Amino acid sequence: MEDIFIVGSGCKNFDKVSRIEARSERLELFMQLDVNTEVYPIKQEERYAVKLTTTLDPDGTPDTGYYNPIKPGSIADNFDYIMHGKLYKILDEGSGASRKVEMLLSFGGLLMSLKGNPECVTDFQLDQKYFLCMRKLV
Amino acid sequence: MQQRAQDIIYTKQPYIEDVGPRRIKSIQFSTMSASDILKASECQVHLGQYYDSNKKAIVGGLLDTRMGAPNKHGTCQTCGGSFTDCPGHFGYLNLVLPVYNVGYLSTILDILKCICKSCSRVLLDEKLHKKYLKRMRNPRTEPLKKNELMKEIVKKCSSMASSKAVKCLRCGYMNGMVKKAGSVVGIIHDRSKLSDGYLEECKSAIGHTREARAPIGLATYILNPVKVLSLFQRMVEEDCELLYLQDRPEKLIITTVAVPPISIRPSVFTDGSQSNENDITERLKQIIQFNAKLRLELLEGRRTGIKYLIGWDELQAVVTLYINSDVRIPLDMQVGRPLSGFVQRLTGKQGRFRQNLAGKRVEFTGRTVISPDPNLKITEVAIPIHMARILTYPERVTHHNIEKLRQCVNNGSYKYPGARMVTYPDGSSKMLTGNYRKRIAEELKSGCIVHRHLEDGDVVLFNRQPSLHRMSIMCHRARIMPWRTLRFNESVCNPYNADFDGDEMNLHVPQTEEARTEAFLLMGVQNNLCTPKNGEILVASTQDFLTSSFLITRKDTFYDRAAFSLMCSYMNDGMDPVDLPTPSVLKPIELWTGKQLFSVLLRPHANVRVYVNLIVKEKSYSKPNKEHKKEQETMCPNDGYVYFRNSELISGQLGKATLGNGNKDGLYSILLRDYNAFAAATCMNRLAKLSARWIGNHGFSIGIDDVQPGKKLNDEKGKTISSGYRHCNKLIADYNGGKLALKPGCDATQTLEAEITERLNKLREEAGDVCMKELHWRNSPLIMSQCGSKGSPINISQMIACVGQQSVGGSRAPDGFIDRSLPHFPRKSKTPAAKGFVANSFYSGLSATEFFFHTMGGREGLVDTAVFLKTCLDRYLWKKIEPGTAIGAIGAQSIGEPGTQMTLKTFHFAGVASMNITQGVPRIKEIINGAKRISTPIITVELEHNSNVNAARIIKGRIQKTALGQVAKSIKIVMTSRSASIKVTLDMKTIREAQLSLDANIVRELILETPKIKRKLQRINVLEDGKLEVFPGGDRNKLHFELHSLKNMLPTVVVKGIKTVERVVIAQKKLDDAENDHGGPKYNMFVEGTGLQAVMGTEGVDGRKTKSNHIIEVQETLGIEAARKCIIDEIKGTMESHGMSIDIRHMMLLADVMTSKGVVLGITRFGIQKMDKSVLMLASFEKTSDHLFNASVKGKDDKIEGVSECIIMGIPVAIGTGVLKIQQRVDPLPMLDYGLDPIIS
Repeated sequence: MEDIFIVGSGCKNFDKVSRIEARSERLELFMQLDVNTEVYPIKQEERYAVKLTTTLDPDGTPDTGYYNPIKPGSIADNFDYIMHGKLYKILDEGSGASRKVEMLLSFGGLLMSLKGNPECVTDFQLDQKYFLCMRKLV
Repeated sequence: MQQRAQDIIYTKQPYIEDVGPRRIKSIQFSTMSASDILKASECQVHLGQYYDSNKKAIVGGLLDTRMGAPNKHGTCQTCGGSFTDCPGHFGYLNLVLPVYNVGYLSTILDILKCICKSCSRVLLDEKLHKKYLKRMRNPRTEPLKKNELMKEIVKKCSSMASSKAVKCLRCGYMNGMVKKAGSVVGIIHDRSKLSDGYLEECKSAIGHTREARAPIGLATYILNPVKVLSLFQRMVEEDCELLYLQDRPEKLIITTVAVPPISIRPSVFTDGSQSNENDITERLKQIIQFNAKLRLELLEGRRTGIKYLIGWDELQAVVTLYINSDVRIPLDMQVGRPLSGFVQRLTGKQGRFRQNLAGKRVEFTGRTVISPDPNLKITEVAIPIHMARILTYPERVTHHNIEKLRQCVNNGSYKYPGARMVTYPDGSSKMLTGNYRKRIAEELKSGCIVHRHLEDGDVVLFNRQPSLHRMSIMCHRARIMPWRTLRFNESVCNPYNADFDGDEMNLHVPQTEEARTEAFLLMGVQNNLCTPKNGEILVASTQDFLTSSFLITRKDTFYDRAAFSLMCSYMNDGMDPVDLPTPSVLKPIELWTGKQLFSVLLRPHANVRVYVNLIVKEKSYSKPNKEHKKEQETMCPNDGYVYFRNSELISGQLGKATLGNGNKDGLYSILLRDYNAFAAATCMNRLAKLSARWIGNHGFSIGIDDVQPGKKLNDEKGKTISSGYRHCNKLIADYNGGKLALKPGCDATQTLEAEITERLNKLREEAGDVCMKELHWRNSPLIMSQCGSKGSPINISQMIACVGQQSVGGSRAPDGFIDRSLPHFPRKSKTPAAKGFVANSFYSGLSATEFFFHTMGGREGLVDTAVFLKTCLDRYLWKKIEPGTAIGAIGAQSIGEPGTQMTLKTFHFAGVASMNITQGVPRIKEIINGAKRISTPIITVELEHNSNVNAARIIKGRIQKTALGQVAKSIKIVMTSRSASIKVTLDMKTIREAQLSLDANIVRELILETPKIKRKLQRINVLEDGKLEVFPGGDRNKLHFELHSLKNMLPTVVVKGIKTVERVVIAQKKLDDAENDHGGPKYNMFVEGTGLQAVMGTEGVDGRKTKSNHIIEVQETLGIEAARKCIIDEIKGTMESHGMSIDIRHMMLLADVMTSKGVVLGITRFGIQKMDKSVLMLASFEKTSDHLFNASVKGKDDKIEGVSECIIMGIPVAIGTGVLKIQQRVDPLPMLDYGLDPIIS
């Protein structure tokens, strides 16, 4: 899944981590995300390209889940903030036309919630590990 | 014909318990007659000397060697045994005249009360005699019942004698009252009330003698032992049986003293020559001396002073002291220094029972100071080498361990790892201190037993006193370490309740493989992670471990690869493989979060098959509020929602709820439940190591800057406090002006107190809230309180903001001076400061008065802790069930242990202000003792129509006690020339307002129904509605007095309600959400006082739902099952109000024990007795000597079955593994017929 998000408000409960809220342009997704703002500062109104993928390998070789240093030539080269974590919960809300799906991911405790139409999350699987890749758009 | 089964050949010999040559089956208590003593004795003792001129024990003296070997060098003249072999032999000592045995004195008295002092027959008439005898002889009557029966007979006989003289139906002798003599040990037969002319005759006879001057109590007979002895000797067997005497009563009187063997009264030699005799020996010497004196007196017929045979009294006194030196005897008969008697040897904490029988000294133990060591596993204990060299374990030599043991033997006693002794198969043994060790080591063969020093992995038991529950002694694996302390993992502090401020702990080394196995499997730390009290986990991470986990799992803790890998290797000393997870942040730099570290901790590498799933809400979890209606769960902004999914920490900052003790769904509980104890234990080990090392590097300390309030905090605090003070001052002003709106069921003072207390408590809370909000997250006390390792928000706010109200006994500081708490304040001042409110913080410092109030509050805590210990002892109930678990002990521990934590023994509001109920230890005590009078009986009344306040008020009027004085406008004495009367005018307005249906006629009837008043009345006239005229009766001369006494009594006449009820309070029920839908508030009532039956019977009360907290009353009103339920509910309620959860089954067991006999029996001395327990158990518990004397009179037979008895006798207890014995099925032997075949078959 890939989309462009515009950062809305954020709240800062911790020194190095902020929880930002963002809306996507294309798929109309609503995202809440804990970001390590110490290493990757994010400001309001900025636009980011965001991608969720199961592997960083360009040829699609599945990830082992254990530590592998990033090799040059991987998808990671195109992004400047990458997190790795697990999809631990998919919630269904409402029904019919107003039905919404919320996906919850945890990147080692940094949480992400992605809310939107059911169609755009069909490819996601529970307990699958994902890479969250972000790139600031100028 | 069957062959005898061949002996089974075992590959390994089964373990067969060695029970020794004899086994004590039971103990028979009895009394000994003179001839019994003579039979048991070896020699007569008649000389009051110890040694002859050659310092040799004199023959016939108290140290006669026929009674046992005197010391290590001597031998026994009777059996020839040495000091260690000879158990000793008795001697005897004939008394010139018999004396009472002080222990039996009450029994003797009871018997004398029942028998005729002339013909020795029981005073009952034939019919009663038969009836009682029949009941006594009934084989189904329990000993307990027989005891009661005997008491009944005694009561019957003595009541006959107390009112007037009883004429013996058989001989016609007039019997008076029998009682104990006041000053001396003796019995008086009081015949002063007799009028058979005998007295006059006697008086006139004495009047003619010269001694008439002497005031001789003629009417009282002193029953001397000789007389009593002869009476007893003449008693018929039937009467003995009737009085529940197992043996002849004459045995209760001493005619011959048994002189105990020397071994129980050894002489001590000081400086080689000077001998120091035992107290018993000294006392026996006195007996011999007084005996000789009395003999002389008898021979010479001499008399000293006014009394004849004074020597007899002296002998009585000295024999009494020989048995019990606490008995008070006249001062002039006390000789020499106080010597302890036999009773003193047995009773008390230092007595034989509690010191040597119920608790025994053991070998292979150690004790020293403890200290923490997080590097040890939770199952381990570090033992200093010094200790390990002394404590040994006998290991049998096999070809597996022969090399190791050879080395040990070679090293000898002093070099670790060595051995102290070798035992050979033939039973001989050699100490390993000399140079011959090398030879012994070489000759070591399989089958020898080497008593080697402790080594790593040995099984030891570890204990800390007070041993309040079974986890106070647990089994650990030894780790031999240098230095001087015993060390263990801090996670195990909780079950022992240990800290390291100088605590000492004990160590025991089991000496057989069986004992080791049993200890390890039953008492091992890993098998006792949970408490049987309520199933909560007890061994869990504490203190620093929680703090560091809390900090590590903070959301913004990140580590680079080096730091993360280092921490991974902290967990297992870098010995275990670790699969490094993908970092949470890969770009711009690789960063791992602290939460990932916990995922590694739970499951270090892919081959570990531990998948934990767990959800815990920590303290910091933000519950749904106005902003977020929905549960936020993992998205909680405070990160308080702990979620483990397949051993991966998804979210949440770990704290006490997850890792700490005292919960049933924390991480360790889940590991224990879903996996095993080992998984939980490993996890604790890893966390301990990680935390200790991490926090050592990270640093965590507390300083003055942690408690310095900022400017904002100070300002806010000032504002809060001044607004609170203003509010209180307004309340006080209202109170002084009488404008205070009263709370239900309270007077003005109570209302003021309640409101001020409420306001001041809020004040501290507010100050605390401000304080918590303003603190930086790095503040150490804040971190500690958040993660639950130490301290609470209150503690923090006390240090930084405001100490708050000091309370003594549940209310504000009391008045220690006249009308004021301290002389610094004006009289009757009720301001916060004058009643113990401390506005300062510990940082800003307390003012002088504040400091004083604080010490008052602090002292209370100390007093309370002292109270508990007694109660804890009180609840000694042992009961066992068939499968052999001492559930009684577990239950008692479970209920008793929390008692230590119940520091608040004070009162507590029961939903309504001003309604107090006893709580805490005193309440538990009341329940368990089955108290007949409890301090705050309360009946909770449910109404039939519980939504109507007016209906509730009417019912309140029906229940509440209303006296005439409360509804009368006036009660006046009216005197006219013709008549005198009392006029009562009823206040009809009040009566209507209170919804009491009363009028003059009803009051008249009620007055007439009061017997006390009725007696004094002539008549009552009803004048008009609400007016009565009462005319006193009786003597006209005393009319004035009668009038006044009537006037005083009339206001107390209860005109309405239940007499036993003190007060009724209507309370609005706290509504549950479900009930809320029905609309309108619901009411119930609390009735202070007793009278459950009457309350239940009141119209409008729903009797089915009405409850009482008075157990005895519930039993009387509703029956034993209701009482059982009541006990359970009350204990549960009390425990819960102190925040303690106890498994309900413990309370059910307790209630069952208390109610099993059909009546509520308290767990007290008396209650336990009624439960028919063994003598030894009772003796070891309380009142040792009384039980023993009683047992010997009753001839009790103690089967050694219970726990206490078995411990006393040194026999394995039949509980736990002790109930099991090896059983072998033996086929019945075939009938063998050697004789001829029968002719007719």
